Amino acid sequence: MITNECKKFLTWLETWDSDQQPLDSPPHARGCSSCRAVFEDLKAIHAEAHTWSANEPEPPAHIWSSLHAQLKDEGLIRTPEAERVSPPVVSSPGWFANLFAQVPRPVLAGAYLSLLVAAGFALSGPFGRPSNEAIWLQGTQVVASPLSAQLDTFEQNPMASRGYVSPAVAASLHQNLAIVDNYISLCEKSVQEEPENEVARDYLFEAYQQKADLLAQINERGENVQ
Amino acid sequence: MSTGRLVPTQLSSKSRWKVAGLVVPGLLLCNVVSAGPIRHEQHFKVAAHPVITIHNPEGLITVKAWTKGEVMVISSPASTEVTVDAEQAGNRVDISTRALSDSVAPADMKTDFQINVPEDAELQIHNDAGSVTVANVLGDMNVETVAAGVDLEDTTGYLTVKTVGGAFQCLRCAGRIEVSSISGSFKLIDLKSTHVWAQTSTGNILFNGQFLPNGTYSLKNYSGVIEVRFSPSDSFDMSATSLKGKVNNEAKLTPSTHEHHFMPRWGNALFGTFNQGRAKVELTSFDGTINILKRD
Repeated sequence: MITNECKKFLTWLETWDSDQQPLDSPPHARGCSSCRAVFEDLKAIHAEAHTWSANEPEPPAHIWSSLHAQLKDEGLIRTPEAERVSPPVVSSPGWFANLFAQVPRPVLAGAYLSLLVAAGFALSGPFGRPSNEAIWLQGTQVVASPLSAQLDTFEQNPMASRGYVSPAVAASLHQNLAIVDNYISLCEKSVQEEPENEVARDYLFEAYQQKADLLAQINERGENVQ
Repeated sequence: MSTGRLVPTQLSSKSRWKVAGLVVPGLLLCNVVSAGPIRHEQHFKVAAHPVITIHNPEGLITVKAWTKGEVMVISSPASTEVTVDAEQAGNRVDISTRALSDSVAPADMKTDFQINVPEDAELQIHNDAGSVTVANVLGDMNVETVAAGVDLEDTTGYLTVKTVGGAFQCLRCAGRIEVSSISGSFKLIDLKSTHVWAQTSTGNILFNGQFLPNGTYSLKNYSGVIEVRFSPSDSFDMSATSLKGKVNNEAKLTPSTHEHHFMPRWGNALFGTFNQGRAKVELTSFDGTINILKRD
């Protein structure tokens, strides 16, 4: 039977901090079998939890260097120019590498860019009252500037060659990249002139999407096209 | 079993020249023949609705439907440095071109294909350069190219085509069509499709087909010309907008009764209904010209 004392005990138990407060049973729990059982269970859980954390092995020091090397190898972090001459660190592929091992890196890169552009497009909604041109312009710039920078970075960092690309294909990819770049600059000019023009903004973000797709294709074909 | 033996005979000087006159051109001819394109032919028995995938870096790919329940692949690689892998996995046939060494020149990767498939086959084609031609195939189709043009004829199903610079032409196609490109132009002739979505940046788009009841037709480009041809019996709701270009219209449109159009504040636009407005047509361009013209 739950009494008022039991309710008070349960309320107290909710705020009980096992690390700060004594593990002795509170006075009510000593006389109430139900509350004592709850308290004993909590104490047991507390003790077990401490055992787990005590048994948790400290990762060996080399794991961090291996992880660092792996991330560098994956291209997820960059090495300063001065360090690039050093020989590569050989390490066995970890779970992170295995996770994406089956997916070609250009595909991941393309997917990343597409997501970026899609996110940018999603964020390109009205940032203020439609009549406020400055807010529209600022909103578009907030979204477009990082996209543009990311695409430029991606464009300037070719991935390894992995394909046979005919001159016709390489020429077509470069020609169309120039077309899309021109398309982007014209759309940007249009947005600058008419920040509230939703059609121009739609075209601008579509142009970014096209550039992302195109760069992914170029990277998929490797440095033969760069 | 008897064996023959050739006995050398002494020939006169005149005869030697005669023999040489015959042998040398013959040898040259043999040489020319042996240097011609290599041709492989393979056959695969398939069940209904087979899937055929083709991955080729460059070449002419021609796919035609036939009535047989098999897939025939005739491949002609440009050099002996590449090989064609054609394998069957269940009801799927995978065809791909593969280099035999790392030092193959890109030009040597070129391979032409003639492929016959059952009418109900589903196709997935990837060919960077050259051309892709498909005729009379009724299954779904996905074609991706960079510079290669794509010509489809009498096809149906769900067609998705993506090129970078390659042109696209669809003659008497039905079903659902989705095509995109950056600089490729599109020609959609005598279509009988209920759903058309076509988008290119700098290419032209020509639509000369039927606007079927309940169909949706969305054509969009950045620059270039969008031209739509209509007949007096067509029935459509039209929305045409060119942000910085012109919209030329020969259709007598009445104010739309089906939905309330929001008139944009930007560019040149027209909205209206032709006959009962059973199909929905959306034409959009940034600075290109839109022509809505009567069919001849």
